[in-house]
Amino acid sequence: MHRRLFLRLLPLIAALGFFVAVAPAMRAQLLQRSSWENSLVSVEVTYKVYDAFQPWDEPTRAIRKHGVVVAPGEILTTAQYLPAHTLVRVQKGGRGRWHDARVKWWDAQSNIAVLESASPAFWQGLEPAPLAEKVGRGPEFDLVRWRDGNLEKRRVEFGRFTVGEGALGFAPHVQLEVSTDLTGLGWTEVVARDGAVAGLTTYSNGRVCGVLPAPFIRDVLNAWREGRFSGLGYFDFTWQPGGNPELLKELGLAGEPRGAVVHRGGRESDPDVSPRARDILLEIDGRPIDSEGDYLDPDYGHLVLENLANRGHFAGATVKMKVRRGAEEVVLDYVVPKAEFSDETVPREVFDGAPKYLMAGGLVFQPLAQPFLRGWGDEWRKFAPFRLQYWQFEEPDDGRKSLVVLSGVLPDEINLGYQDAVMLVVDKVNGRAVATLGELAEALKTPSPGGVHRFEFMPGRDLQRLVLDAASLDEATARVKDYYGLPAASRL
Amino acid sequence: MFWVILLALGGACAAQAEDLADPGSAPDAAAPERAVVQILVSSQEPVYDAPWRWEPIQRSTGTGFVIEGGRIMTNAHVIAWAKQILIRRYQDPRLLPARVVFAGHDCDLALLEPVDPKDLDGVKALEFGELPAVQSTVVTCGYPAGGDQMSFTRGVVSRIEVQPYAHPGNRALLAVQTDAAINPGNSGGPVFQDDKVVGVAFQGIPGLQNAGFFIPPEVVRHFLDDVKDGRHDGFPMAGVSFEALQNPAYRRLLGLADDGLGARVDWLRADGPAARVLRPDDVLLEAGGFPVGSDGMIPYRGNRVAVGVAFQQPQTGETIPLKIWRDGRPLELAVKMEAYDGDRLAGHQYDEPPRYYIHAGLVFTPLSANYLDSFGQAGRDYLWEGLARLTYELHNRATENMAESRPEPVVLAGVLPHAVNADLGVRGRVLVNKINGVRIERLEDVKRALEQNQGARHLLEFSGPEDGPMEALDRAAAAAAHADILRTYGIVADQRF
Repeated sequence: MHRRLFLRLLPLIAALGFFVAVAPAMRAQLLQRSSWENSLVSVEVTYKVYDAFQPWDEPTRAIRKHGVVVAPGEILTTAQYLPAHTLVRVQKGGRGRWHDARVKWWDAQSNIAVLESASPAFWQGLEPAPLAEKVGRGPEFDLVRWRDGNLEKRRVEFGRFTVGEGALGFAPHVQLEVSTDLTGLGWTEVVARDGAVAGLTTYSNGRVCGVLPAPFIRDVLNAWREGRFSGLGYFDFTWQPGGNPELLKELGLAGEPRGAVVHRGGRESDPDVSPRARDILLEIDGRPIDSEGDYLDPDYGHLVLENLANRGHFAGATVKMKVRRGAEEVVLDYVVPKAEFSDETVPREVFDGAPKYLMAGGLVFQPLAQPFLRGWGDEWRKFAPFRLQYWQFEEPDDGRKSLVVLSGVLPDEINLGYQDAVMLVVDKVNGRAVATLGELAEALKTPSPGGVHRFEFMPGRDLQRLVLDAASLDEATARVKDYYGLPAASRL
Repeated sequence: MFWVILLALGGACAAQAEDLADPGSAPDAAAPERAVVQILVSSQEPVYDAPWRWEPIQRSTGTGFVIEGGRIMTNAHVIAWAKQILIRRYQDPRLLPARVVFAGHDCDLALLEPVDPKDLDGVKALEFGELPAVQSTVVTCGYPAGGDQMSFTRGVVSRIEVQPYAHPGNRALLAVQTDAAINPGNSGGPVFQDDKVVGVAFQGIPGLQNAGFFIPPEVVRHFLDDVKDGRHDGFPMAGVSFEALQNPAYRRLLGLADDGLGARVDWLRADGPAARVLRPDDVLLEAGGFPVGSDGMIPYRGNRVAVGVAFQQPQTGETIPLKIWRDGRPLELAVKMEAYDGDRLAGHQYDEPPRYYIHAGLVFTPLSANYLDSFGQAGRDYLWEGLARLTYELHNRATENMAESRPEPVVLAGVLPHAVNADLGVRGRVLVNKINGVRIERLEDVKRALEQNQGARHLLEFSGPEDGPMEALDRAAAAAAHADILRTYGIVADQRF
């Protein structure tokens, strides 16, 4: 090299040398993010745990989880345990004073919540942690949590990206699975990489820990902040992989197997622009669907097509779907339905307040919902009455959108002889079909001939009907309410 | 509540033959225990999700006793699926071959006879007594586990009421509870009172101490009367359920006095004999001469038992007189009783191997309780959607929605892997809804739909009644592969109808 040129380049070479020799340590320091202490906070939630069989009973429990400061005055956490909260407090540094906090926003389907605290002392020294823009595959992440007042940071292994329902909802979205020997996870610990939040843990199952990935969180948070979050959506049709070439041929598609075969059309969406039974889904949002029902995601690799219900958009968005329908290809402008618990006959969750009930003459009625079925404990799918559970899989023939169950009898002279009449789904009251407690209350305003209230239950081998004396019902209801200590005869 | 039948499995049947009886120490020839035999059975059950196969041979023992006509009474569950039946007489080393004459699986009773009638020479047949009174003493006699010799236990009659019979799984008949020890191996043995047989030991409840159950003489006599014509019809069923009518408002509505009488008709099976004469909210005041209480019970020989017992008295074809209350007036009616096997698949089945049809490696068989049992732990851990749909189809569909129900729902039990079917995503444990557009009501429809198809492919639709997953097979390739698949998997017959 020419000497003058060398001298001219010397500063640059020196700088490069410094960078090569010294910068890795600084970069590592940055990447280690020594300031997780100043971003990761503890969250204490006291929440109501309703008794499925005495829905007026409202005992509380408290849990501790984590949150992470992601913007000035904003703590990001998962929505778990927040829907029925009575008190939320936050703590920084893993120890010391707990500060009152407020749930600023939460969304069940995405399982994301934002907390705020009006306590200036709490915010002192705290700084936002960045949310990773991308979370690629492998090999490791840091897992950061407060444990016994000390910050614990441990390595966890990348597992895979997958698509599934969230911890509180049924809308599909991308999730990260990490593998670890650590126990006691799933309490919104931060999974970090390169000094940024790569995700928040949502559950732990053996060695696998589920993580809500940061890019998904970012998309939802940004949309919420900008006032354009319309909720998560879902595909309301059902499909099967198109791996059987004979079936594809039968449905009009020759060549290599590809696409997904729709076997039941949408329930909520406009049938004119929705896939129908026997359509073959070839593309969604411009992304080809393979014979497994997957598409190639540029960020996460192969994912099941359900993720496209919420990738880059939310409920209400129009998504182009190319389908093979018999001999022709059709492009549909499918409008992604919003994932609403109320659209399910047996809602998976009921978050609009305390459980509803109506007690009439000692008969206790409740909406049939999964939280009620979960009253049979962790193994409710084994122990809850079969016929009640089955309404989750097959809707009523008459198209009613919800169901009411006679969940218990508070013994009284008016209901003498009906002590065992429980776990029966109501069909009609005084001749009127009943789908909600409101309809039941309305039906009770007009007794049946003979001066009785007539309750009819869904056809089957269980009790089909019973009657209560109409003239004494109100008096009996008040008597039962007082005798059994109900705060109110109904909560509608 | 779990019930167990009292069959001794395995080891007991390896018992060594005893020395010839010492005539000098043998009991009196008229002693009732001389009519009690040990029954040694080798049985083999089919594999319901691979219905051409059989489970390994199982050996078990039970008890029986000689009754009039040179026959041996025992429990049906003792001889279910028997391939070989041997009897051993009291203190006799010989193993004597026997065969089933009648098996009443609905009432868990069976009649056997020795292959050589002379084998029972010298045995005095036992006689039946009457329903024993509660608190009276009874003695059981049989060959329970824990030893080789005949065992006797004594106890009192604890109570008498209708109980579920574990063997059929979906029948409830009169039964007697006793605190006399009744253990595995006692099954089919006599329960004595004053040298008369007052019951046949048959089941217990695990975890419940000092509680064994025996079949009372009423049920035994019904079974014996039933088979007199050479055919076993089974206990008839009226197809009606009654509910207690104790609520004052309901009684007033129906115009009944508060006299503690009458049970309300709550449910009627649409195709049952009761539905031809009864209506919902009719009130049953008397059945077969028994006054019916508002608790849905009748007084029965000093006991109070479910009104269903009255309907279990007649034989198939006989009528039961009823007094009912309808529209504010008493009315006399009669129901002609009929045997019912419409719920056969929902109960446990015995002795008839499952029907099946195999085509191109796809194994079709009727949906049944036995088939669901083949899921093992996977069918008990929790209610997954596929299991829920099959369970509903088997147990609830006909009751709740007869129009959508099928006489014999058919499942795709499995797929025998072969190149011709390897691309099928549906591999079994699913209801068959349609094949080539034909709704599958029974197994014969599967065969017909496949054999009569002239199209290029077979189209199979599953689940239902709504649209479920579907699969297709190349018709010619399927036909060509069929024999090869049977050969590969060692299947001798591709169907059993």
